[in-house]
Amino acid sequence: MIEIQNLSKRYDDTIVVDDVSMRMEEGSITVIVGTSGAGKSTLLRMINRLVEPSSGRVLIDGQDTMAVPEDELRHRIGYVIQGNGLFPHRTVAGNIATVPRLLGWEAKRIGQRVDELLQLFQLDPAEFAGKYPHELSGGQQQRVGVARALAARPALLLMDEPFGALDPVIRSKAQDDLLAIQRRLGTTVVLVTHDMEEAFRLGDKIAVMDEARLVQYGTAAELLTHPAEGFVERLVGTAERPFRLLSLTRVRDVVEPGTADGEPLDASIDLREALARMVWVGRDALPVLDSSGAMLGRVSIGGILAHGRQAP
Amino acid sequence: MPRLGIAFDRLGSLVAALALFAAFVLPFVTYRANRIVSGEPRLLLHALPTTMIVIVLAAVIGAAWVAVLIRRPSVRLIAAAVGLVVVAPAVGLSAGFVTPAGNSFARVSPASGFWLLVLAFGLLAADSLTRLRFGPWARLAALAVAAGAIALLLLSGAWHDLSLLKEYATRTDSFWREARHHVLLSLGSVLAAVIIGLPLGILCHRVRVVRVPMLQVLNILQTIPSIALFGMLMVPLGYLAANVPLAAAIGIRGIGTAPAFLALVLYALLPIVANTVVGLDQVPASVVDAARGMGMSRRQRLFQVKFPLALPVILTGIRIVLVQNLGLATVAALIGGGGLGTFVFQGIGQTAMDLVLLGAIPTVGLSFAAAVILDAIIELAGRAHS
Ligand SMILES: Nc1ncnc2c1ncn2[C@@H]1O[C@H](COP(=O)(O)OP(=O)(O)OP(=O)(O)O)[C@@H](O)[C@H]1O
Ligand SMILES: [Mg+2]
Repeated sequence: MIEIQNLSKRYDDTIVVDDVSMRMEEGSITVIVGTSGAGKSTLLRMINRLVEPSSGRVLIDGQDTMAVPEDELRHRIGYVIQGNGLFPHRTVAGNIATVPRLLGWEAKRIGQRVDELLQLFQLDPAEFAGKYPHELSGGQQQRVGVARALAARPALLLMDEPFGALDPVIRSKAQDDLLAIQRRLGTTVVLVTHDMEEAFRLGDKIAVMDEARLVQYGTAAELLTHPAEGFVERLVGTAERPFRLLSLTRVRDVVEPGTADGEPLDASIDLREALARMVWVGRDALPVLDSSGAMLGRVSIGGILAHGRQAP
Repeated sequence: MPRLGIAFDRLGSLVAALALFAAFVLPFVTYRANRIVSGEPRLLLHALPTTMIVIVLAAVIGAAWVAVLIRRPSVRLIAAAVGLVVVAPAVGLSAGFVTPAGNSFARVSPASGFWLLVLAFGLLAADSLTRLRFGPWARLAALAVAAGAIALLLLSGAWHDLSLLKEYATRTDSFWREARHHVLLSLGSVLAAVIIGLPLGILCHRVRVVRVPMLQVLNILQTIPSIALFGMLMVPLGYLAANVPLAAAIGIRGIGTAPAFLALVLYALLPIVANTVVGLDQVPASVVDAARGMGMSRRQRLFQVKFPLALPVILTGIRIVLVQNLGLATVAALIGGGGLGTFVFQGIGQTAMDLVLLGAIPTVGLSFAAAVILDAIIELAGRAHS
């Protein structure tokens, strides 16, 4: 668990992060979102002390980060930046091995770990271990960047716009992969983005920053149903809000008893997609199947709309 | 745009014109009755036995034809190589042919026609090598082949009758002594400049306020003419030698190797320091940030990340300096610093052109070889990640 207490950063007269306090749960993904210059990167970089706070504290599992030598602290925290920052003079394997080598692991153990990570990120070790970063596509480079950050099994992973340089299709795949890997490893992730879609898609909790201040911190549903007045309301987008809210809920959670005609829906898709499908095929209701193909019931347009209505 | 008729190659036409002009109009060798009298030019057609004339002319005309009409670089390279392989021993043979039997005073040296032929074939070879885009290993191999061919010509005695080799024969010992001295002076001064310059470059990179004054001082040093710098160093070193017994004991004098070495080191500093700064500065900020974020210490960042990425640029500085100092070391002979310049200045003093060439040709060869070798190393160092 990470606890940020009254953290501030000042450069000369300008305050860049203003008295931020928040708590990130073990094993969760927290997304920090906001416009450019809001202080997101600065806040993130104060967690691993790449930026020294002007005041306030960061506690990781109850321990003040100031009590640990900075290099040692960073060995325990994964760090991924936009454009990945891979070392151009080292192979993929050499890049991934960076922190284990700094920690003095044995060569054999490093080799095993590199292979394991390459497989986890769907990169064939035989093909990719010996390649140099410039020989990889943007998406592959990005995966190597995350693999490198995870090499020494950090409990905490900091990511600063990790998908910023990717095209929409690869980006969406990278987000899915991150979710899957994070669920599997149980890593605590703090991710910075200025893309609201990304925040809703990835964040167990979302922190909205504006002009150096934390203006709202809560779950996606909380942000959509009770956005803080002003900046967050605008960011969340009045027109888009009902659709965003719909995309947070799965068909599985609104199944009604009964049956319907037409092509069945998968229970794991979200309500936004289900609604789109029904409008497209021109039906008021469709049957729902679970992943094993068993009939669960039906879902209706009325049921979905009831879900997207503004909370009382 | 469609071309009409035969397409002429522009560089090839120049090469062909030069070669034909050199072969038919200019003298191939110069004959002198002794070492210092002025010589009489001999045309190629009068400088060799008939069969040899036919072979040389065939090679020259063939190469000229290829240069003008054939575009394939590999064929052009072969033509240039054949031209060189024929002309180089021919000039040695010509020396024996022109010298009257039993006359050991007569001197025969290559004349403008020979040099122009070598230049023409050299141009053709260089142009085709560039177009072939050889990798670093192939270029090193080509250099080794060229060096081997020259060594073969020297050892086989094919050039034995040339005046240049007669000069060499009378001073074999001093030639090798000065050559060794020349190489040690150049390499040693570059090595010392690297040892001093790298830390200075790192300092300039880290401490911004040091950078501008440091580079300015080195810049001024660089602009002092070499003879003036040698002269300026003679005074303090002479004083040191006269007043500090230890300095004198380790060989420091107002004239000789010490001021020459020091001047060469000073000349080498600017390119090395400047390239180190540029090389370290151009390492992408995101890469350094990632290194810091993964917990690399300052030292680890420098040696594991910044330095390897700056290496090609730093090596480029070292290449500039090595080639520069191999040439500049010639001037060191003026203040008694030794080296191949000794022959150049002796030759000038005695108006013996052959002696000048005995110093100058190996110097040019060394610089050329150093440039090729370092270019290959630079490319190999940067290749993996560029
Ligand atoms: N080293 C520094 N010195 C002075 N000002 C700085 C420094 N680093 C950042 N700032 C300023 O602090 C503010 C916040 O920067 P930060 O990088 O945290 O923003 P951000 O929210 O990450 O923006 P972006 O989305 O563009 O990355 C900016 O106005 C920036 O100019
Ligand atoms: Mg940022």
